[in-house]
Amino acid sequence: MELLVASAIGTMTACGIYLILRRTTFPVIVGLAMLSYAVNVFIFASGRLALAMPPIYDPATKGYTDPLTQALVLTAIVISFGMTAVIVMMALGAFLEHGSDRIDTDDDAPEDGA
Amino acid sequence: MMGHWIIAPVVLPVIMGGLIVLAMRHDLLLQRVFSVAATVGLLAISGALLYAASTEPPEVYFLGDWPAPFGIVLVLDRLAAIMLTLTALLALIVQLYAIGTGWDARGRHFHALFQFQLMGLSGAYLTGDAFNLFVFFEVLLIASYGLMIHGGGKARLRAGVQYIAFNLVGSTLFLFALATIYSVTGTLNMADIAQKLLTLPEGDAALLRVGAVLLMLVFAIKGALVPLQFWLPATYAFAPGPVAALFAIMTKVGAYAVIRTGTLIFPPTTPATGTLIADLLAPAALVTLALGAIGVLGATTLARQAAFAAIASMGTLFIAVAPFTPQGTTAALYYLLHSTLGGALLFLVVDLVADRRGSDSTLKALPPIANQGLLAALFFAAAIAMAGMPPISGFLGKLLVMDATRGPGMALIWTTILLASFVTILGFARAGSTVFWKSHETQPEDPPRHMGEPLAWTAVCALLAGLVLLTIFAGPVTDYLSATSFELYDRAAYISAVLARAGE
Amino acid sequence: MSLALIAALPFLGALLPGLMIRAGKNACALAAASATTLALILLGLNAPAVFRGEVIQTRIEWLPQLGLNANFFLDGLGFLFTGLILGIGLLIILYARFYLAKSDPMGQFYTYLMLFQGAMVGIVLSDNVLLLLVFWELTSLSSFLLIGYWKHLPEGRQGARMALTVTGAGGLAMIAGMLILGQIAGSYDLSVILTQKEAIQASDWYLPALILILIGAFTKSAQFPFHFWLPHAMAAPTPVSAYLHSATMVKAGLFLMARMWPVLAGTEAWFLIVSTTGLITMIIGAKIAFFKDDLKALLAFSTVSHLGLITMLLGFGTEEAAVVAIFHIINHATFKAALFMSAGIVDHEAHTRDIRRLGGLRTLMPLTFTIVTVAALSMAGIPPLNGFLSKEMMLEEAVHTVWWSSPWLLPALATIGALFSVAYSFRLIAHVFLGPVRDDYPAKPHDPGFGLWAAPAFLAVLVVLIGVLPMPMVGDLVKVTASAVTGEAAYVKIYHWHGFVPALFLSLTAVGGGFVMLGLYRPLARLWDRAPRPEAKAIFDGLMEPFAERSRRVTEALHDGALTRYFAIATVTIVAAAAFAFWGAPYAPGLRAMTPVAAVPLIGWTLLVGATIALFLYHRNRLLALVLVGIIGLMVSVGFVYLSAPDLALTQISVEVATVILLLLALNFLPKRSANLSTPARRTRDAVIAGVTGLGVGALIYALMLRDFAFPTIADYHLANAKSGGGGTNVVNVILVDFRGYDTFGEITVLGIAALVIFALTEALLRAGPANDRLTGWIPDARRAGDRHPLMLVVATRMILPIALMVGVYIFLRGHNQPGGGFIAGLVVAIALVMQYMASGFAWTQARQKIDYHALIAAGVLIAAACGIGAWFNGMPFLTSAFGYVHLPPLEEFELATAAIFDLGVFLTVVGAVMLALASISRIAIRAGETVNVRPYEIEPGRPVKIEEA
Repeated sequence: MELLVASAIGTMTACGIYLILRRTTFPVIVGLAMLSYAVNVFIFASGRLALAMPPIYDPATKGYTDPLTQALVLTAIVISFGMTAVIVMMALGAFLEHGSDRIDTDDDAPEDGA
Repeated sequence: MMGHWIIAPVVLPVIMGGLIVLAMRHDLLLQRVFSVAATVGLLAISGALLYAASTEPPEVYFLGDWPAPFGIVLVLDRLAAIMLTLTALLALIVQLYAIGTGWDARGRHFHALFQFQLMGLSGAYLTGDAFNLFVFFEVLLIASYGLMIHGGGKARLRAGVQYIAFNLVGSTLFLFALATIYSVTGTLNMADIAQKLLTLPEGDAALLRVGAVLLMLVFAIKGALVPLQFWLPATYAFAPGPVAALFAIMTKVGAYAVIRTGTLIFPPTTPATGTLIADLLAPAALVTLALGAIGVLGATTLARQAAFAAIASMGTLFIAVAPFTPQGTTAALYYLLHSTLGGALLFLVVDLVADRRGSDSTLKALPPIANQGLLAALFFAAAIAMAGMPPISGFLGKLLVMDATRGPGMALIWTTILLASFVTILGFARAGSTVFWKSHETQPEDPPRHMGEPLAWTAVCALLAGLVLLTIFAGPVTDYLSATSFELYDRAAYISAVLARAGE
Repeated sequence: MSLALIAALPFLGALLPGLMIRAGKNACALAAASATTLALILLGLNAPAVFRGEVIQTRIEWLPQLGLNANFFLDGLGFLFTGLILGIGLLIILYARFYLAKSDPMGQFYTYLMLFQGAMVGIVLSDNVLLLLVFWELTSLSSFLLIGYWKHLPEGRQGARMALTVTGAGGLAMIAGMLILGQIAGSYDLSVILTQKEAIQASDWYLPALILILIGAFTKSAQFPFHFWLPHAMAAPTPVSAYLHSATMVKAGLFLMARMWPVLAGTEAWFLIVSTTGLITMIIGAKIAFFKDDLKALLAFSTVSHLGLITMLLGFGTEEAAVVAIFHIINHATFKAALFMSAGIVDHEAHTRDIRRLGGLRTLMPLTFTIVTVAALSMAGIPPLNGFLSKEMMLEEAVHTVWWSSPWLLPALATIGALFSVAYSFRLIAHVFLGPVRDDYPAKPHDPGFGLWAAPAFLAVLVVLIGVLPMPMVGDLVKVTASAVTGEAAYVKIYHWHGFVPALFLSLTAVGGGFVMLGLYRPLARLWDRAPRPEAKAIFDGLMEPFAERSRRVTEALHDGALTRYFAIATVTIVAAAAFAFWGAPYAPGLRAMTPVAAVPLIGWTLLVGATIALFLYHRNRLLALVLVGIIGLMVSVGFVYLSAPDLALTQISVEVATVILLLLALNFLPKRSANLSTPARRTRDAVIAGVTGLGVGALIYALMLRDFAFPTIADYHLANAKSGGGGTNVVNVILVDFRGYDTFGEITVLGIAALVIFALTEALLRAGPANDRLTGWIPDARRAGDRHPLMLVVATRMILPIALMVGVYIFLRGHNQPGGGFIAGLVVAIALVMQYMASGFAWTQARQKIDYHALIAAGVLIAAACGIGAWFNGMPFLTSAFGYVHLPPLEEFELATAAIFDLGVFLTVVGAVMLALASISRIAIRAGETVNVRPYEIEPGRPVKIEEA
């Protein structure tokens, strides 16, 4: 299981990084979203994995998963949601003002300038 | 005993921000009056806390009455108090300037965002909890996004997108770092982490070091440390003048966080990390200073020049932080105070100039502008402040830093610092003589109209006065600061204060 | 105290002129003069003590932690220089009053002048090397302002920049030197340092310190090879040249060498460096001076040459030489200042300084002629004038000095220098004043008014008096000063006739040779013009401009706004640093057993990874990308469910929906496909960076998951105390609203701010501007779905709404014990409302609900804050919760905790924030011509909207 989670996190991170290295806003935004998925799962996993052990207090339960990391992830999700909303609107605004959705502002640079 | 007052710097702005949004969002005058009142209040409270911190050991505020490390705590010590006061002071001045120039009327919600910005800053200084530090970083960041694009405009928006994107990566990195540290130590309270690291199993060292470095990199982004400084020039150059001036404190938040964590959690005495942080920080700081200085000489607009001066000052600051010695930290703190006020002064002056030149601060000679003589003098003052020339505090700061970096590597550090000041002087001299002197060759078709803006001038002069006072009272100030750094390097008091109730 | 006052007076005086100019030029000049006079009087009061050989001290603590204190001390050396600075300063103030033109801003001039005066006095009175550095740099800055005083003259601006560059750089070098010196001596106080000769000269750091300090001195005193800035500084008004570049600033370097003489002099290094530099400077300066046609340039280079002479004398390191040096400093100050002022008079009256256009002024300006002749003859070293005395003594010293192991080399060279200085002095007299009267002067020359000639005349008188009666005039002064320099009582005997000693013949040679050279001027000048020689300014600019240009290119290239490059660099840096950290310490793999893998998660994993890879491949098709993002988010939340995190799953899914909706709406305006702007090479590079990062992160979390916590986690405490202390069984929710409620408080604030930012941004976009034009001229692209508002969707959402609201309330109430809570509830409700918007259009819905989202957000945040503050009233810290249980059928029993109020705040903020964001985006849509239905269930609205935008 750990291997699956770790590989999933890794894949999402890689994809996110690749997308934020694109030169138009939309992929970059999607990439940032991917990164926040990755990091959310990362935080969650950093509390170790537990199957069928709800973080609900119950005298009869056999054990718990780490509720703290879950709380942290919740906070992180909410914050990244707010951030994503802002950057989406900002990108839209920049596009409307400028007419191009290039995220790089080195406009005189060659189209394929890496 | 400050009791509930400790959390006032967070609660006051957030309530004021809320009220402004709730009841005053349609009336600018109301916003101005209450917002300024709130900032004045914040300054007063911070002053009281500053005094209290100097008379008592670190004081802890247990939020929700949960004992540390299980709940979140606020810790008031000298460092936190200094940062609070500096921020409140700068905020008040910038606010007056924004009102005086009418900047706050060029978009919506300036004052609300301003208050939330202050909330975020105060929260970041006061918190004793690593994850809570992240939360308040986000608060101050998102408010800063709003302020940065205040007034809109093509260039500003595009720069804004980049600013946000870069900082979002920073926030993600922050979470990676926190999760790593938590999953090794099983705690989030900074004092608790610090204590646990002393008995950390050797096998965990490697992973913890990764967490530590990632955390420091987050702060390095905030502190514009090369090679993570790229976001700064465009952001500061395109942000509204007063906002850029306020941002003079934003980079310092990064410096604060490095000092806090570097002295509390990862001091060189920590077995797992050792001198890891210092080894990475020192060279980066030198490069930052060099790059900033070259930028000052190479900048094409006054605004960008000011931005690069800010980068250079961060370099100097981190040079003093890097050795993690009380003496170095004292120098760093003095330079922090100086470069915050000096940087803000430079940005405000540049804004006044650009405003009179039709928001054009490119380095070319245009016909003389209103109050040219006065502005030239102010620019001269700001420039020598940032270049670290006497008689303004920058020179003292520079001497303190050099004095604190004696020993191995001294030759390299001193050479860098001195060459950097040289290049900076060159840059400012060229810019100043082009913008303020060469313009006398050209004659304006119509004599420039004189501008009033009394509040704006008051703000600028207040900053200058701050620098002068910092110079004259360098002795007493440095006394407080060295007391601060000794408090920082004697972690025991802090840790025991925080974990006093751990037994419950 | 009085010393500090002497140093402070000029600075105080600097404040006055700016104001007094409003009372007229005389008042302005008078203000400056009176401050200087006062300082002079104070100095005079100390004279008796100084001449008794005492040292007066003033100590004021400034920055003791650094050893930087405002300590001043006054001995012979300080007395002489302070006297020179203030005395000549007074004459300059008088002279400038009549020299400056009507159009020149006189207030500024005197302010700068007094600033400079104060800085100079500070230098010579400092008893603390750091304090001295402060004043040292101040002179560079104030002279920058003075040289650039005529802002409209390009040469003025460039000269100012060059002077600042050279002297400023020297000052910086000196900072390092002084810090080293202080470290060796264990104190920054001169009075201490001066007692540490052995320690300093024995130290390994002696040579670096010496060189660094000398660089400072040489740049300031325009010594070879730094001499080139001085002539260009002559673009300044003549009073400035007379003051800075003959009498004072350029002497600061000499002062420093004299000051440091006791501890630095006497070594081989000192002798070779200083005396050689001085000698070279003396000869080169004199040679160039002879061929210069600009009066001020001639004087400038002669100044360079005389400074070299004095430097050489100090370099000898003998007491006798030091005495001569001091004496010549006095003499040079008198005759050179007089000459500069006279040159200014000529310029002022004849409107030219070009020697080729002058000549024959003898009869037209007899007074000026007399002054210049006296001063120039003294400069040439003609008896009985004071210049003769010091030159004679100089040659005497030269004769007794073995240099580069040759007894005659130095005297010979010194004589050549003297010879040139005779030549240019004579040329000054002959070519400007003698010869036939011309009729082509730019202006009719005549002697000026008293105001202008008084000062130089006074100095000329001094020249004669000192020359005739050296001992009575300055004997004691030289004695006390020289003693201060050498540290021991100096023996001073100045007389005219030394008998037939070598020095006599040498100076006779010099005078004779000078005459000959004057006679041969024309052929020599032709030779000189043909000879190639380095042009200082060209070289300087050749160094500076490319440097500035390169800096510009580097800066611009690095910070050109290519965010993606910034990202690449940042990512690489982060990964590298992390790797560096990891491999720097031992690592023991964890011992935790792997959790078993069932089929279900394997499927989920496959879907997740598959979608991710697909996204990586097809990210340029934006709709597809969105769908893939949706799938990924869904899989993540499924994973959360499977890994026993129901709250996370709920939140993740609802946030997912909200995000996708937002992106969809935004995508309406953005291009449907991302252009491919990257070369394959770049794409590979990025893929590699991404891959490595992904591997690193994956490995990191894998390593973490497989090891046990090194210490018991704080979560155990949360589990144990959630019910008892927090009054809830859903530990996650209790943590959110109680243990870490403060985080949540910050978190909802973030959400609220986000909405405000979006709102403010929209306002900015909808103002007149490019964005607005683009929107109003918007052409919606081809319809994808048939109807704008599909009937099914409309009906469905209307049905869903009440249910959704109920669900929201339910989730909210149970949150504290079962998965759920304010945040999720808020999102559910918000989404339900959003569906209305999507289905029925913005205006229709807007018209049917009148809640103000701003108020909602603010209320939410304020309620949360109030809930926190409430705790204060029962003496508890912020956000301390209290709770009790309520049973209210038909709902299951739920407990009413203050936490619930807090949760309500969360709920309101979330709803408000999401709705405000959506409202803003919809306003953009409307501006873009989005039509809306006015009647319910209208499928194909044709009319463009006409509703006012709140």
